Amino acid sequence: MASLITCPHCGRRPKEEFSIRGDAVPERPTPVASEEAWHAYVYLRENPRGTIREYWHHAAGCRRWLVVERDNVTHEVYAVTDARDLAKGGAA
Amino acid sequence: MSLSFTHRHVLEDRMSGYELSPNANHLAVARRPAIFSVLAHAGREAAVADALSAVENISVRTVSPSDWLAVAHVAEAESIVDSLAAIEGLSFVEQGDGQVLMTISGPDVRTILAKCLAVDLHPDVFVEGQSGSMMICRVAGNLARVATDTFEIVVPRSYAGYVFDELREAGREFAMTRGFAA
Ligand SMILES: [Zn+2]
Repeated sequence: MASLITCPHCGRRPKEEFSIRGDAVPERPTPVASEEAWHAYVYLRENPRGTIREYWHHAAGCRRWLVVERDNVTHEVYAVTDARDLAKGGAA
Repeated sequence: MSLSFTHRHVLEDRMSGYELSPNANHLAVARRPAIFSVLAHAGREAAVADALSAVENISVRTVSPSDWLAVAHVAEAESIVDSLAAIEGLSFVEQGDGQVLMTISGPDVRTILAKCLAVDLHPDVFVEGQSGSMMICRVAGNLARVATDTFEIVVPRSYAGYVFDELREAGREFAMTRGFAA
């Protein structure tokens, strides 16, 4: 159930402690990338059914940014990872 | 002498009325705690956590892997400031004026807290000495288990009145008493 998220730092917590801050899939283009690439990054989003990756901010807990991989059909949560660890080259 | 911001406790008005002797279930509010917000610099998290555990007169509360609260029931701020300042890779600020520290204890404490807390407080899961930031009565605060049936709560001053009222309401069926800590 997506209503309980297991934060890697805080443990099992209710979803009310988090705020969902959007799609974690798009990768930020380089500053010199084309306008099309920036337009796609800023405005264009897939709307997938099934497994999705999102940024969740644990606002009422450790205040860390997390990447939550979950299923928007079954509400199953597959993985919760600290976004900084991911950005520093951890496996997704 | 006038009552200053710090000398008049934010929950003072809620303590009026009969002063009952504490029941088995009791909510005690610390009058002037020292509460330090402590942050470790990047890469120094483990070393700072080690050094913090050696500082005397404080209890360390977990907020995040690089972020703690150092809590002292009685403000002996100077000696604590010196100890914290001696730790390398650490930034801290005293926030005792902006936070309220309460201790809730008694045989029914878990039932009372379960009314406004969505975290599993079974002693096997949330063990003695464990702490964490979490939603307490819909307010982002910090909870610590200091004994099997004793928890300490830190909430922002501006929300403390609401949290206090909610906890009292939750404790009503167990005749929970309240008062300032002696
Ligand atoms: Zn967390």
